[in-house]
Amino acid sequence: MLKRTLVANRGEIACRILRACREAGIEGVAIYAENDSGTLFTELADIAVQLEGEGLAETYLNQQQILQIALETGCDSVHPGFGFLSERADFAQAVMDSGLTWIGPSPEAITKMGDKMTARITMKEAGVPVIPGEEVTGGLEEVLQIAPSVGYPLLLKATAGGGGKGMRAVHKQEDLESEARAAMREALNAFGDDRIYVERLLTGSRHIEIQVLADKYGKTIHLGERECSIQRRHQKVFEESPSVALDAELREAMGEAACDAARAVAYEGAGTVEFLVTPKGEFFFLEMNTRIQVEHPVTEMVTGVDLVREQLRIAGGEAMSCGPLNMRGHAIEVRLYAEDPSNNFLPAIGVLKKFIAPTGPGVRLDTGVREGDAVTPDYDPMLAKLIVWAPSREEALQRMGRALDEFVVLGCTTNVRFLRELCTNRDVVDGWTTTDMIDRLWPDGWSPDQSGKILDAGLLIAAACESTNHGKTVTSSVGGSVIPSPFSTISRRYP
Amino acid sequence: MEFKTSNGRIEIDPSRDGNSFTNEGMVLHTGENLWLEIEGRKHKAVATKVGDVWWVHVLGHTLQFEVVEAGASSADDEGGLTAPMPGKILEVHVTEGQSVASGDILMVMEAMKMEHKIVASSDGKVESIHFKEGDQVPQGAELLTLSE
Repeated sequence: MLKRTLVANRGEIACRILRACREAGIEGVAIYAENDSGTLFTELADIAVQLEGEGLAETYLNQQQILQIALETGCDSVHPGFGFLSERADFAQAVMDSGLTWIGPSPEAITKMGDKMTARITMKEAGVPVIPGEEVTGGLEEVLQIAPSVGYPLLLKATAGGGGKGMRAVHKQEDLESEARAAMREALNAFGDDRIYVERLLTGSRHIEIQVLADKYGKTIHLGERECSIQRRHQKVFEESPSVALDAELREAMGEAACDAARAVAYEGAGTVEFLVTPKGEFFFLEMNTRIQVEHPVTEMVTGVDLVREQLRIAGGEAMSCGPLNMRGHAIEVRLYAEDPSNNFLPAIGVLKKFIAPTGPGVRLDTGVREGDAVTPDYDPMLAKLIVWAPSREEALQRMGRALDEFVVLGCTTNVRFLRELCTNRDVVDGWTTTDMIDRLWPDGWSPDQSGKILDAGLLIAAACESTNHGKTVTSSVGGSVIPSPFSTISRRYP
Repeated sequence: MEFKTSNGRIEIDPSRDGNSFTNEGMVLHTGENLWLEIEGRKHKAVATKVGDVWWVHVLGHTLQFEVVEAGASSADDEGGLTAPMPGKILEVHVTEGQSVASGDILMVMEAMKMEHKIVASSDGKVESIHFKEGDQVPQGAELLTLSE
């Protein structure tokens, strides 16, 4: 049993983990950079310690400082969340060397899966199908040499990669060198490692991943799939489970392959094996994410398993608690980003002057922000994850649409309208979701249709608000006369 | 009353009756909450002002309207190429005095760990370049100036 856990993360996922800790009776320790002081996750912790320094390298990526805080605050374990240090084998090792429990797989498993080339080789050996492509050991020269033999279109990927950074699609030979240079530069900036490799770009395919859980007692299970095909800039924006593309047979085959992948690296804890599924129903190993994932709530909604709680349980040396799974209904997650979808999904900043989140049956919101918070360029622009569950896919799409209509964010541009339109988009409704669909549907970019009635309505509201100084006028009940409770004045009613 | 939007300037002159405003067959009831009435159906709206911009949420859409002060000139959004985000200049592809065509890549900058290309929106000549490789730029900073 774990007693006190340091959460080496911030924002939404830190909130998720700290809440799970509290439910499990584990004390949570938050660490935060100065510009995160006062944010939600620091309040959800039993102890919150401010990190010294500025910028990611000195704060959330500062292994030494984080480890020192863990020891000084008497922690027995460290949960890395996702991003930041979650897939750093050296950090996992340092945590373990300090006598603390690392809530995640072994450093060996992280290393094998984190290096995409080693992962490819390991998976080939384990009999898991991999995408046709070439591993590259040399630099740019070798990339240029090898690419033509893989064939176009191809994908350049960062060997240390993830999250779409350092990933470039190349459609013709002329673009190869400049794209390779850009990919290497992005990879170097994001991961401190500029190695890339070459893979065939499988167009029209789906991104489907399998959630796995493995404990220390030899039990490795899969918890079904998540389809995450709808992506922009190679980053997911819309995830669902189950996938319309999988029947029971393919699900079982992919589930088994995922478990094989996990067993091949003696995996422990929660992990995700990502596959590309072609229109013909072939599936290829993409990569394994050796951490909890952004879209884990989708699986939680359809399986009823609390994945973060299972992570804590497994790391604490217990067996996983879930028995045979009984999947039910349909779950969808959308990622609310501070970004401008009508301007190539470029990140946006601002102050969340209004942040009114939807509620109601089957609606879950995972967020780390609140009204009044500032959205800065310092961190990832994801503001919230909105997850819905409903008995069927059709109802889940309707519920998500309704929830997004209720979602009000003012002061910072977001993709909320784009997400809303996905819910009624013909291809999405029909289940024709592929990784290239955003480019396919909106080759010249997406922009909201705000002509006619919408524009007239908005204009009328702006004009009326400007005339009445809306929101500025102090209403008499605020700060003025407070209506007394009838209970506190009860004696006065019978003079 | 005049507002600036991403699609240019628009004027509106709604009729007012107490706290209710009417235009194009729509009625907006103001007060602590905003209620828009269209053909007998009511829709809740939320609005807040940030600087000179009214942010409005209505009918599932979010819109922005910048208040234009009476008499202000309309030539304030021409000319320069500005940084869409705070970030770092990675590459400068042009030199001062160079002629460029619409669509040419002028600079590459990095923001939020992603690369963004700064592209010429029209044909012209590079008049001046305000930043060099490696410079940090704030959002909205004019990166370079093009002349016709």
